[in-house]
Amino acid sequence: MSSTQHDTRPILKHPLNVRVFHYILLLTFLPLAATGLLLFFKPLSQNAMQLTYDIHMIAGVGLTLNAVLFTLLAFDRVVLFIARVFSFSERDVKWFMVLGGYPQKFLLGKTVPIPPMNKYNSGQKLFGACVLIGGALLIVSGFVLWLIPHAAPRDMVWGLGQIHLVAGLVLTAFLPIHLFLAVYRFDDFKAMMLHGKVPYHDAAQYTPLWVEKEIVAVKQQPAEAAKN
Amino acid sequence: MMDKKPLFEEDKFFLSRRKFMAIGAAFVATLALPVAWFSNKLARRNDYIKARSAGLYQDDMIAKQRVSHANSAVEKYYAEFGGEPLGHKSHDLLHTHFVDRTKLKS
Repeated sequence: MSSTQHDTRPILKHPLNVRVFHYILLLTFLPLAATGLLLFFKPLSQNAMQLTYDIHMIAGVGLTLNAVLFTLLAFDRVVLFIARVFSFSERDVKWFMVLGGYPQKFLLGKTVPIPPMNKYNSGQKLFGACVLIGGALLIVSGFVLWLIPHAAPRDMVWGLGQIHLVAGLVLTAFLPIHLFLAVYRFDDFKAMMLHGKVPYHDAAQYTPLWVEKEIVAVKQQPAEAAKN
Repeated sequence: MMDKKPLFEEDKFFLSRRKFMAIGAAFVATLALPVAWFSNKLARRNDYIKARSAGLYQDDMIAKQRVSHANSAVEKYYAEFGGEPLGHKSHDLLHTHFVDRTKLKS
């Protein structure tokens, strides 16, 4: 039994600006994915398709503003995120060899050893890289397709349309997996959706390298220190 | 328990300043370069039309006959057969009628 099993001391995992960004991303990407699929398959009447189109544009502008403002106002978080999701080591290969132990756990009820992970596990890193690259491609291609499809070179518009389609489908395909695993890791889910904090035992179990290398005690303010 | 203030947080300096700046610069460059390339493509999208137009003007400058009504074949047509420009016979022979062949999908 680990000595950290019942350690409930809170670690701040997701700061407020990240949570706000994630909430707006959630509220804009879900309608974008739904309306994107509708725009692709065109199952509705002319008026309903027009409404779908309008919702897609509005949500797209919202997502873009969110991404741009977060990049400008929290550039350090963006850089740290990039540093984390594009780091690669032998541990990631070993993690993917057992797929994080999830299939064994869900399908066979077995627990297999998995290599120690940093703040994000290898699957989350892959997802993060796809969101970063795919999101940037979706934003750029979306704006060209929306605003200047007749001014941009014809072949480029066609290419951007294909990129928009593939990137949108890939990220939409990730969505159910992300939602399922997010709820499965319930302490992390509550941290992202509510208060930002995970208990020490959860962090030590799933993200031991993060706890070991990057976590420090919060410095007390002078007034608080005087009280204690 | 999560009403409490956090006792631990990420070390803000776990990434060296050099690495932070390198990643930040790479990120900005990755975003800026395609935008610059695309802006260039957009600005030069009509270059081939402008080149074609300039070529036509150049051809026009060195042409012996620069206006259609000075064309000797046209002059001969009106003198020997068509009568006067915009005349009845020329109208019947040379003018066409508009037919709307547009096929709208919806």
